[in-house]
Amino acid sequence: MRKSVLFLAMLCLCVVSGAWAEETIKVGYLAGITGDFAAYGQPEVNAVKLAAEEINAKGGVLGKKLEIVIYDYKSRPEDAVNAVRRLIDHDKVVAILGSASSGANIATAPLVNRAGIPQIGTLSTNPLVTVDEKGKVRPFMFRICFIDPYQGRLIGYFAAKELKKKKAAILYDVGSDYSQGLREYFTKSFTEYGGTIVADYGFRGGQDMDFRAQLTQIKATDAEILVLPNIGKDLALPIKQASELGMKDIIYVGGDGYGEFMVEIAGKALDGSYWMYHLARQDPAMKPFFDSYKAKYNDDCQEFAIAVLAYDSLYWLADSITRAGTAEPKAIRDALEATKELKLHHATLTMDPKTHNPLDKDAVVLTVQDGKSVFFKKIRPQ
Amino acid sequence: MKEVSHGLETFLQQVINGLSLGSVYALIAVGYSLVYSVLLFSNFAHGGFLVVGGYACYAALKVLGANIWVASAMSLVGAGIVAVVTERLAYKPIRERTNVTLYLLIASMGMSIVIENLFVIFVGGRFRALPPVIPTSPVSLFGLATTSAFDLLSLVASVVFLGALQIFLLRTKWGLAIRAAAYDLRTAGLMGVNVNLLVSIVFFVAGALAAVGGIFLSVRYTLYPQLGGITIKAFVAAVIGGLGSLPGAVVGSIILGLAEMLTAGFISSQLRDLVVFSLLVVTLLVKPSGLFGKNVSEKV
Amino acid sequence: MSGYTEGIIILLCINAIAGMGVSLLTGFAGVFSLGHAAYMALGAYTTAILTVQYSMHWLPAIVAGGIVAMIVAYFIGVPTLRLMGDYFAIASLGLGEAIRLILENWQSVTRGARGYPGIDPYTTLPVAVGAFLILLILMFNFINSRYGRACKACRDDYIAASLLGFNTANIRILALVLSAFYCGVAGALLGGFLSFIQPVMFDMMKSTELTAVVVFGGLGSMSGTLLGTLVITLVTELFRPISQYRMLIYGAVLVIIMVIRPEGILGNRELPSFFRRFLRRDS
Repeated sequence: MRKSVLFLAMLCLCVVSGAWAEETIKVGYLAGITGDFAAYGQPEVNAVKLAAEEINAKGGVLGKKLEIVIYDYKSRPEDAVNAVRRLIDHDKVVAILGSASSGANIATAPLVNRAGIPQIGTLSTNPLVTVDEKGKVRPFMFRICFIDPYQGRLIGYFAAKELKKKKAAILYDVGSDYSQGLREYFTKSFTEYGGTIVADYGFRGGQDMDFRAQLTQIKATDAEILVLPNIGKDLALPIKQASELGMKDIIYVGGDGYGEFMVEIAGKALDGSYWMYHLARQDPAMKPFFDSYKAKYNDDCQEFAIAVLAYDSLYWLADSITRAGTAEPKAIRDALEATKELKLHHATLTMDPKTHNPLDKDAVVLTVQDGKSVFFKKIRPQ
Repeated sequence: MKEVSHGLETFLQQVINGLSLGSVYALIAVGYSLVYSVLLFSNFAHGGFLVVGGYACYAALKVLGANIWVASAMSLVGAGIVAVVTERLAYKPIRERTNVTLYLLIASMGMSIVIENLFVIFVGGRFRALPPVIPTSPVSLFGLATTSAFDLLSLVASVVFLGALQIFLLRTKWGLAIRAAAYDLRTAGLMGVNVNLLVSIVFFVAGALAAVGGIFLSVRYTLYPQLGGITIKAFVAAVIGGLGSLPGAVVGSIILGLAEMLTAGFISSQLRDLVVFSLLVVTLLVKPSGLFGKNVSEKV
Repeated sequence: MSGYTEGIIILLCINAIAGMGVSLLTGFAGVFSLGHAAYMALGAYTTAILTVQYSMHWLPAIVAGGIVAMIVAYFIGVPTLRLMGDYFAIASLGLGEAIRLILENWQSVTRGARGYPGIDPYTTLPVAVGAFLILLILMFNFINSRYGRACKACRDDYIAASLLGFNTANIRILALVLSAFYCGVAGALLGGFLSFIQPVMFDMMKSTELTAVVVFGGLGSMSGTLLGTLVITLVTELFRPISQYRMLIYGAVLVIIMVIRPEGILGNRELPSFFRRFLRRDS
């Protein structure tokens, strides 16, 4: 009896949501709420909801409200595939935002291409997300972030030209596509700028928490900088442990894996490190975002890169729908591709139609002082 | 000559790193082994108890503003209670009905997923760290190697807790009962031991030990819902030492810690886990009962 | 049929094929494994490399994937199957992780952790369903054959079976090798379904899930495994709208089924006999 009541209730819910569908524009969002990226799942969900609320409060898009359908993909490609199929066939979304993971987006790319639904990767920096292995652009895949080769080159350029260091050590995650990519491209560009890699050590992300073996070996070399192309705890822990091993003079440099939560773990050791990032917290254009995020969720949004990219992805999509004049997926795709000099909160966006990557996106270098990340400078390597 | 002393220094440093890692594994491995010795199943939810302990300590320090001693005590008791409740809810009905330990194993995997995701949902996945209540400043050892003050403390604490456990097992009435139960739970029951109470005590002790491990791990490393995953290494250590043997768990942990650090340092950091799992498989093939385990012969 | 339903059916078939393999080993031969995702990985990578690198047709490539898994299983099984009970499970866990680590580190062949992209989407609905049906018929033939009964005898009483003249060691190896073949094929199909594979897809979590499904359905019941696969796959899909609770529910379901019905949904009966018994009890 109770089962049938529940069933009826669910049925009603379906009918009600079906009736609503006509007045809203449905957008899917792939979030890594559980699994390996769980630390980043909540901020991205919060941020995209915030963006939808703000856009809807201003009258929505084309007179319709945006409705965000959020599915968790357990941080795993095989689950992302099913989530995307459901978004397309069951929820009939016009576009999909997320995920932050390159692996998941490479797996969903053939699906969205076949279905003709545009998808925007938030933090998926692997080139293969938008361009297939034969070098052809995937027509319906886009991204809002810069790519691994660019980020790797940034670190190499910054280390060699700005910091003027010649000897680098790398500590990277063997099990992560992101980390492997950054390492590869950093090594290439750093050696091109005349630097040498004096130590190159891997570890297994996830369960590995002790990096002292590798750090001890690095300490025995004359490395001036330690490049950490990792994310999350795998960034904070090596720094903490290096300082415990008495490595005072080495400079830590890394990519966009940086997050403010690292200060709680690594403390003072983090001071003086440099991070290639998408934006700075002090950016005046971002103040409204951080203020409303704090007001709505009572949280500082320490993992702000993923949150801001999720937030701006929706603004980018909303703008494209407006420019397309219709919420028809193919028209949205064309509008996304034609994006030029679009002023978003964290950056100005121009799409490269040949790769679907942002064109000449500035990177921001952050440095840490007294446990706070501060803007260091904007760079664009030659 | 300078080269040689430099190499020696690095080697010593790696040995110290290995001992420090091994001492953390030991605390977790002993809890594993304790439960195995009595119920003969690998409790995969042990990592969950560790996470409970870590978060309990974090909450006591940050939210209640307690000092580290109070917070640790609360964490030990909290994790112990969670362990007992887990046993009562999930394992007791199974072990009373059947002696197929496989069912207990699956239930324990389920419990570990449940505990991890409860924290993901209600606390959030963010990486946290306990405030620096335990110093982690570098300490130089005779100018040869550097370690953190925390490592020395954790080594001392491991010894104290494992020593206390040994005294509990050898000198108290319940310790005797647990040892008897480890020999044969059913017979111990027939001899008048209150089996349910005994199992609860075992789980409480195991949970409390896991909490000590949890506090250490969250100070040494970081605290997050998937932290329990590290127990897989402690589990491997317990198997190498001999499941069910407490000295074995300690020795296995030290071996594993050293093997990891020396492999990563001198052979290849990528091969570190491969060496861990190869050690496991080789141990099982050569001496399945581990270094200190009792030999189990098939009963006809 | 919508792509979504189609995707779920394909995934069901893939999970069911792997589930049948593990069910044969765990439910029928009584060998408990925590590393079978590694055989899926072997199948997936072999097929991916053969089709992409050597442009082989997908059909022989899938079979080759299964065979590579079989060969590796044989060389693993000969030494390790001497271990009994929990100890084999622990060894298989170690070996499973070791195989995955090798795939991750052997970059020149597997492209490492970044994954293997560009696999032809050969796993269409007819291919998946066809593979499932063929393997299903073969499996039921096997478990009702002399060898299948020998497996059950080994499971129920290893020593008695060997006293009765069964070569118990060989039977256990046969079961392991066959189950590796099923998992290898399932992995190969998964690669064709996703067009992209990564070593991390085949970790301990996946191995646990495979075994959990078998225990959930009932040890020693092939139809129970299929039912278990159906329930677990559908539950994860149905609960997608409350997605953050899915893993919690999955864990809780595992515990609850072990507590209230440790013998699994069907016990050790097959579906028809389960219904007969069920009806008789009713009347």
